[in-house]
Parts: sequence; C-alpha cells; structure tokens
Amino acid sequence: MNTPLVSCTKCRAPLLGDVFNLPELIPCPSCGKPLQVEVFPAMFRRIAPGRDGEAVMEETESSCFYHPQKKAVLPCESCGRFLCALCDCEFNGQHLCPTCLETGRSKGKIKSLENHRTLYDSMALRLAIGSFAPPIIYFCWLTLPLSLFIAIRHWNTPTSIVRRTKIRFMLAITIALLEIIGMVMAIYFIVHNNNHRVR
Amino acid sequence: MAAKQKEYRRLPPFFGRRRGVGLISVSTTSCWLWLGKDHLLCIDRVWFKEDYKRFYFRDIQAIVIRKTENGRIANIVFGALATPPLIAALVTSGGWQVAWFIVTGFFLALMLINFLYGPTSACHLRTAVQTEELPSLKRLRRARKVLARLRPLIAAAQGELASAEVPVLMAELARPPVAVAPAASPAPEAIFQPPSANPQP
Repeated sequence: MNTPLVSCTKCRAPLLGDVFNLPELIPCPSCGKPLQVEVFPAMFRRIAPGRDGEAVMEETESSCFYHPQKKAVLPCESCGRFLCALCDCEFNGQHLCPTCLETGRSKGKIKSLENHRTLYDSMALRLAIGSFAPPIIYFCWLTLPLSLFIAIRHWNTPTSIVRRTKIRFMLAITIALLEIIGMVMAIYFIVHNNNHRVR
Repeated sequence: MAAKQKEYRRLPPFFGRRRGVGLISVSTTSCWLWLGKDHLLCIDRVWFKEDYKRFYFRDIQAIVIRKTENGRIANIVFGALATPPLIAALVTSGGWQVAWFIVTGFFLALMLINFLYGPTSACHLRTAVQTEELPSLKRLRRARKVLARLRPLIAAAQGELASAEVPVLMAELARPPVAVAPAASPAPEAIFQPPSANPQP
C-alpha cells in the first residue's frame, strides 16, 4: 500500500501538501521546526500490485521450474529456466530467476547488487603506518610483514567501488619495506657497536 | 584517447561524517555520498569494511531537510569552555596568562569555525520502502546545495513536478483507487509448443 504522507522527521506529524517544494524553510505545523520538503513524481505513483503466477490449465502448457503448478511466462536470461510471473525478478532491464540473482550478488557478477567490500589497501597502509605507534611498536615484527603480505596477497582484490588506483597498496609496500630495512640496520649498528665496546 | 569517465563523483563534504545523535558522536561509522549515473550511493565505512546503499533517482519520493539546534548548542558549549580560561588569563600574568589565552583562543577558534560553517541540519531521503538519514549532510547550506544538484537528475528520471500540482496530486492519491475488473487479456504466447498429440488428418 502506498503511504503518501510525508512526516516531519522530528515529531513524525504528517505534513500537508502546502509545505512541499517551497524554496525557503517552513515551520512544521506540529513542532515548529524549520523544514524544507522536496517531493518528486515518484511520491504520487501508485504501486502496481504484485503479479501472481497463473495456474497451468492444460498439460501441454509450459510450467515454471520453481512452481510446476504455475504457467511459465518467460525464461531466465541467465540460465534459461522457465519462470512464472511470481519468480520473474526484473532487474536493470533483465529478467532473472531468484537463484541467478542471488548467485550474481554473492559472486559479484552483478555489480549493482554488491553492497559490501573489505578495504585491504587501507588495512595494509594503516598497518604499515601504525606499526611504530605505541603500543603497536612492540609487535612491529608481526605487523610489518603482515602489511606486506596483505598488500601482495590482495593486490588484485577489488577495493572500494568508488576508488580505482592502487596507490595505497604501493605506499604500504614502500613504507613497510623501508621500516623493515631501517629496523634491520638499527639492530645491526647496535650489535656492531656493542661488539666494538666489548673489544 | 578520451579520458575514462569517472563512474562516481563525490558529493561534499570531502571527509565523511559520523553517524550518531547529538553534539559529539562516538559512532565509528563514517558516511559519504557519491553521485552515480542513475543513483545516489551512500557509503558507510567501519574500519576497513564498506557497506553500500543505492538510491536510484527514479525511486526517490522526497527529501526532507530539517534545521537543527546542534550548531547553536555547540557554540554555547564552546563559549562556556572558553570563559573559565579567559577569566584565568585576566587574573594571572606572565607565562600562565599566555597559556590561558592560548586555551581561550583554541575554543574561540572552534566557535568561529562552527559559526562559519553555518546552521546544522538533518537530511532524510524517502523512497517507497524506507526513510533513510543522510548523515553526511549535517550542514544546512551543504544539504541545500546537494539538493539543488540532485533536483535536475531526479527530474530527468521521473519528470518535472510543479508546486501547484502537488496539492491536487495529494488529493487524488488520498482517494481510494477505483476497482477495475481485470480486462480479458490475450493468452500469452507459449514459450514451448510440443507437437499436437492428435495431428489433424
């Protein structure tokens, strides 16, 4: 059911049409908070009722793969299975079955369904930069190699969908390598100086 | 060779805003808004994980911007925090006076920055199935700029809506839909027609 009322986001009182699409802030009739409400034609679009599959009347009629009692109306554009009106998932102009839609989402084939990603590049960079911050400095022998491993292992893993460069990976590898080299040199000089003093 | 067009463009602010209520949010979730070709992308980032929400322009029903008092409250708090060091600076002398003036100046600077950013707001986006807050639009000026940027894109996806039409459409929508008897539709074309069991002689 289409709920046409827009409510004040503070007091939840329904707002009337005379406060919509005005250029200035108008006080809410209920709580008085200044509001600007912009409505669009989608607000007044009546939602069509969902389609239910028709029952198969004759034996010769094709039936839905998932609902053998319902009449098939079109095939899935991905796997070719017959679908009834209920199983037809229209998405971005394509007609897909629920299984293909879920597979597309879980395997990342349908990019517009992707709603979660892990940022390995940020993880590697923060590990590299944060390795010398106390108290993590005591574990830098672990965090620096871990940062290198993450950067190399996930070099080809997609990062954020809005970010496209590998600059963070490159910085993480560079910083981690420099820090490791610096640590090794520092340990070498300390040991070398100690040996000199002993002699 | 033409430069590859960016799929998404970032909407202000450049740095994300934290989700949460009140003056100081302790939430670890930062939010950004990006503009896609046919949708608005809201990114929530917690540590190294990002969650995406897409709001297609054809589905956006309304955007509500409400002015809040958070900015004013912040200024009062900064002013209250600046007052004791100012008094201390006036009653002391020497190095301590300088130190107290520095502390006072810090809070006054925060107050000035808050004032220059303008009044605060809460912005909500409504579709047929949800009303979602857009935490990155916490300043009124910025929220109105983003709304001005979205308006033509949404109009391109849904069509224009004049202010005068709104009350008429609201009245129409308030009326219950007229029940229409289902029209006799032609039988859908069968996908698979097996050969007839009883072929014609």
